[in-house]
Amino acid sequence: MVDSCFRCGAELGAPPALCASCGAVQPFRADLSLYAVAGLPETYDLDVQTLRTQVLALQKGLHPDRFANAEPAARRYSLEWSTRLNEALAILRDPLRRADYLLQRQGVDALDERVKVADPELLMTQMTYRERLEDLAAARDLSGMEALRQEVDTAVTGVVQRLRGLLGVLPCVEPEAAGAALRELQFLDKLLGEIDRSEEHLQNA
Amino acid sequence: MALMQIAEPGTAADPHRRRLAIGIDLGTTHSLVASVLSAVPTVMRDHDGNYLLPSVVRYLGGGGIHVGYPAVAAAGQDPHNTIASVKRLMGRGHGDVQTLAGHLPYDLVPGEGMVRLRTVAGEKSPVEVSAEILRVLKERAVETLGGEPEGAVITVPAYFDEAQRQATKDAARLAGLNVLRLLAEPTAAAVAYGLDKGSEGIFAIYDLGGGTFDISILRLQAGVFEVLATAGDSALGGDDMDHALAEWLMREEGGDASDPLWRRQVLQQARTAKEALSAVDETMIALTPFGRAAREIKLSRAQLESLIQPVIQRSLPACRRALRDAGLKLTDIDGVVLVGGATRVPAVRAMVEAFFQQRPLTDIDPDQVVVLGAAIQADALVGNQREDLLLMDVLPLSLGLETMGGLVEKIIPRNTPIPVARAQEFTTFKDGQTAMSIHVVQGERDLVQDCRSLARFSLRGIPPMVAGAARIRVTFQVDADGLLAVRAEETSTGVRSEVVVKPSYGLNDEEIARMLQDSFTHGAEDVVRRRLSEAKVEGERVHEALRTALAADADLLDPAEREVLDKAGTALINALSGDDAGVITAAAEAVETAAEPLVQRRMDSALRRAITGRSIDDLGD
Repeated sequence: MVDSCFRCGAELGAPPALCASCGAVQPFRADLSLYAVAGLPETYDLDVQTLRTQVLALQKGLHPDRFANAEPAARRYSLEWSTRLNEALAILRDPLRRADYLLQRQGVDALDERVKVADPELLMTQMTYRERLEDLAAARDLSGMEALRQEVDTAVTGVVQRLRGLLGVLPCVEPEAAGAALRELQFLDKLLGEIDRSEEHLQNA
Repeated sequence: MALMQIAEPGTAADPHRRRLAIGIDLGTTHSLVASVLSAVPTVMRDHDGNYLLPSVVRYLGGGGIHVGYPAVAAAGQDPHNTIASVKRLMGRGHGDVQTLAGHLPYDLVPGEGMVRLRTVAGEKSPVEVSAEILRVLKERAVETLGGEPEGAVITVPAYFDEAQRQATKDAARLAGLNVLRLLAEPTAAAVAYGLDKGSEGIFAIYDLGGGTFDISILRLQAGVFEVLATAGDSALGGDDMDHALAEWLMREEGGDASDPLWRRQVLQQARTAKEALSAVDETMIALTPFGRAAREIKLSRAQLESLIQPVIQRSLPACRRALRDAGLKLTDIDGVVLVGGATRVPAVRAMVEAFFQQRPLTDIDPDQVVVLGAAIQADALVGNQREDLLLMDVLPLSLGLETMGGLVEKIIPRNTPIPVARAQEFTTFKDGQTAMSIHVVQGERDLVQDCRSLARFSLRGIPPMVAGAARIRVTFQVDADGLLAVRAEETSTGVRSEVVVKPSYGLNDEEIARMLQDSFTHGAEDVVRRRLSEAKVEGERVHEALRTALAADADLLDPAEREVLDKAGTALINALSGDDAGVITAAAEAVETAAEPLVQRRMDSALRRAITGRSIDDLGD
């Protein structure tokens, strides 16, 4: 189905947000996926730089600043499109949230906290990492923390690589394996945040 | 035929006339106004040639008001009625400013909501005081430009929270300004630098003004200014250096520290000495304590630097935090821009250079760089510039909700690009529960008591159901100005009640609660109110179109037609002052009907102008 401009009827491109013919901002379409809003094909393997460039180019036409003196309806549409574009960039640029979004699209909520998942190996890894961070913080060892950060960064790269394989074909045929990888990535992400806070705490103390 | 069809969308009645737009830097110690004149962003001066307007307002008995230098001159004799640094009080409650109270000689009125000052002209809110400053800047612009500006961009510290932004916007409205955008000061500075140099890369903007400190990390690429992170301290600035020096002077000199006149004198001398020491190594401070002999004190730059070092150091944690939030290392920074008069202090420049490991950029006057950027952005927003320039800002402070035990649940984290929306679902926890209390806060701390309370309201009129069955969806929408709207909606029964709350210190909690309660119990009234506001917008648009059309082409009408149209116009103005949507809409329609001959003739004459000079063949189809 081809979308057409609500004002002049001309055919709309992807995303169907601005009419190339009459320049009208279109009513917001809440039904579009984050990929569709960004005008990109739905894949996990995504070049973040391309995504960024694409979203910013779209923001140039749709941001509320472009409609500072326009009618209330146009201002509202622009706010809605621009908000959704920011959401698309925030979620799709992040390997964890991107994977979670794709799995949710096929009805799998791998990070749902209400679902108890027994994963003894991950639990063990978590405890080991946390103990090491606590020891480094107690010893005020900034260079040790930096080394730990690099180690965690390498682990993140490994998990993302695994996800790339699992989500290479959509919908994902091994959702349990993808879910486990997702939970591991979520833990590593949180750990990086904790390392940040510990470092900041030491530097500002 | 509608009046609005006279001009094509986006084109002015006269395409050659530039639309007037101004940028305003509403600063703690000074304010400025600028505009793009003949493609050059220019700071406007007063009759004496000054471009800085001291942000000082003096209320006189009998309704008189002095703003700027005359007010500064009187500050020593009339401290209670002379308000300086009012920006520090914007959007602040009485409790917030207790820590500042020792520094400020004003008579603060205790009470709920935004703090108020007792003056000879009555109680004044910081919004009203700021509006007086904005009025003077607007007058200066009108005189310089030869007409009313269509819109203004007003800069705020990036670290300003929701209440402070809202207060700034309220002040502008009070001064009769149409605010196109509130722009973060560091972003404005980047615009001024970016356009001048056409540079691309990642920049740190270190902005130490009179009363606020901001550090922002921006990426400039392909016409998009993207704020990556911002951090700062809304209670740190050059004033703190003055106060540090003044405290030292008072300890050295004695005198009555609670005497506002004495404090004012010492503070002024401290500021003068600090400024002098940016250029020279040593200066003399002259003090005349009441009832004692005048004294001169020698102060060296080294002494000053040791006194202000603790103040300057307070800016470093924010610099580290901003870098971390942006996910960057020091070596990723391509340039450092200095903004704000306080960055003239050599010790500040030295510390910035040491921290960022590079010499900061200082080509543009640090006092003017923000207002110049604001003027450029204002010019772009009213449609004068064809350049593809876009500013993407971030939310300066996290937004959250109070949960059990006085804890904060963050809904939108700081440094999220705006506009942004997030929804959160809530449910009832008791059978038959018909109300729910929601408390919106802003800040980074885990406890509600350490964050700024933005709005506290109850949702009432929830249909009674078993516990956990109701679905209350609360949506937070932050617009491009960083202003928040909260929308609450009960979805499980298909009962759609929603309301938009603009939390601000202008509204107290009761008013907000009442607004929400009203929306749930009086949904129909809301529809009426919305219809009224839509009718008013439309009516004002028709009136404006009529005024423009008559100004340009009144001669196309004969006297009888003119009389009918004038009558319809007057009826519309009267209707607009009332609050009946039906009357306003009818009056607007009457104007459109009466204006039909004029519209038709304007179209014909425009068409004639357009086809003049074209051959008959061109008109064949």
